[in-house]
Amino acid sequence: MKDGAGFWVFIGLLVIVHFFLHLTLGLDARAPDLLVVAVLLGARSLSGGAAAGLGFGLGLLEDAVSVAAFGAAAATFTIIAYLGARTRDLMVGDSLVFVFVYVFIGKWAQAAMYYGLAGGVRRGEPVEALLMNAPLQAIYAAAAGLVAVGIYRAVQR
Amino acid sequence: MPEYFDHSTRRGWKSLGIALALVVVALFLSLLPHEQQGPIRQAIRGTLLQPFISAQAELAARSGRAVDVPALRAERDSLSAVVAAQASLAEENRRLRALLGLLNRAPEGFIPAELLRVGTRGGESTFILNVGRDDGVTSSSPVIAAGGLIGVVWEVGRRSSQGIDWTHPEFRASAMTADGQTYGMVEPRRGRYREEDQLALRGTPFHVDVRPGTRVLTSGRGGVFPRGILLGTVVGIEDADTGWRKSYLIRPAVRPEAVTYVLVGIRDASELEDLSPLWTGSTTPMEDGAGGNR
Repeated sequence: MKDGAGFWVFIGLLVIVHFFLHLTLGLDARAPDLLVVAVLLGARSLSGGAAAGLGFGLGLLEDAVSVAAFGAAAATFTIIAYLGARTRDLMVGDSLVFVFVYVFIGKWAQAAMYYGLAGGVRRGEPVEALLMNAPLQAIYAAAAGLVAVGIYRAVQR
Repeated sequence: MPEYFDHSTRRGWKSLGIALALVVVALFLSLLPHEQQGPIRQAIRGTLLQPFISAQAELAARSGRAVDVPALRAERDSLSAVVAAQASLAEENRRLRALLGLLNRAPEGFIPAELLRVGTRGGESTFILNVGRDDGVTSSSPVIAAGGLIGVVWEVGRRSSQGIDWTHPEFRASAMTADGQTYGMVEPRRGRYREEDQLALRGTPFHVDVRPGTRVLTSGRGGVFPRGILLGTVVGIEDADTGWRKSYLIRPAVRPEAVTYVLVGIRDASELEDLSPLWTGSTTPMEDGAGGNR
């Protein structure tokens, strides 16, 4: 899945669709977080440093429309991208189950870190935010990631 | 392409160093003063994200043009009838207002704008306007809808600007009751979900009772908001600080998520007239379900 320019076109498309849904259409939590999917999938193809750079860059894009939590997305994306790249040392696999679990954990971790850094703009009690809202967002992102990878593989064949 | 298994300790430390450095940079950016973050945000918004923002503005314009034509025609016919019947009254009213030295109902010093919502993480409680420095907008320009106050501009670019609405944790407005007897500070009360957000009037004297249903307007103090913009209606007491102050919960006049077209102040708040006549005698949009756009 990871080799070739086609894979990076796929990652780029995820980023474009993410901003189209969230910025152009103004959908917030109703649309899945495809940026985290792009960061996590892209990170598996890069070294730790390069993955961190990818996470930082995409996080900064997200932060550009954030008045109150500027830098929070860049920091959290950098961390999960680095850790995502390091997961190759722990496990090998590209199965759909792996992709789902990988994106689910990655998104949950990112949401938890973002909650900690977001300061005044965070909403709800920590327990509710971290144990109810974040897992739901993670399931949504993982399902969207699964669909995206499925489409990518179908196009590749 | 890196090796699938990164066994090189040196390379591993280097990667970790890069990642840590980038995290430090990100945290440094988050600690920068708001004024120094602004140019970075504007540079990214004005380049990489510009196509997405422009597309939203275009979509908003198209949806505005695609409103129900028969409904518009019926509305126009009704308005024509009213205008025809009241033309003489309007002329008389204009002459009398001129004689009394009163200003026109439409606020001067405001320009119309489209409000674009941001659906990204961290963009909650913020909006983008399709007017900027070239149009006379400045940071701290007030943003109002037909129903009342929406928020305030924070960052201004040449052709666009970004602001916060009243649900933002840092929103504050000096306020007064409609009769001008009680003054206080209005700030948001964030609920678990955006739909639950309310406002609170804080710092009112303990011996004064503000009754439910009382309208709360901006007081004009503080130099940001002109006097007389509707904020909402008191729904009840929130808190009584023993012997000193009371706080009241306010049902907001406008829900920001329901608004597309707004007016942006382009003159200093002190130069703007008292806007309270704009909302005199009208029901709160929250009550009539109009959601702020009338």
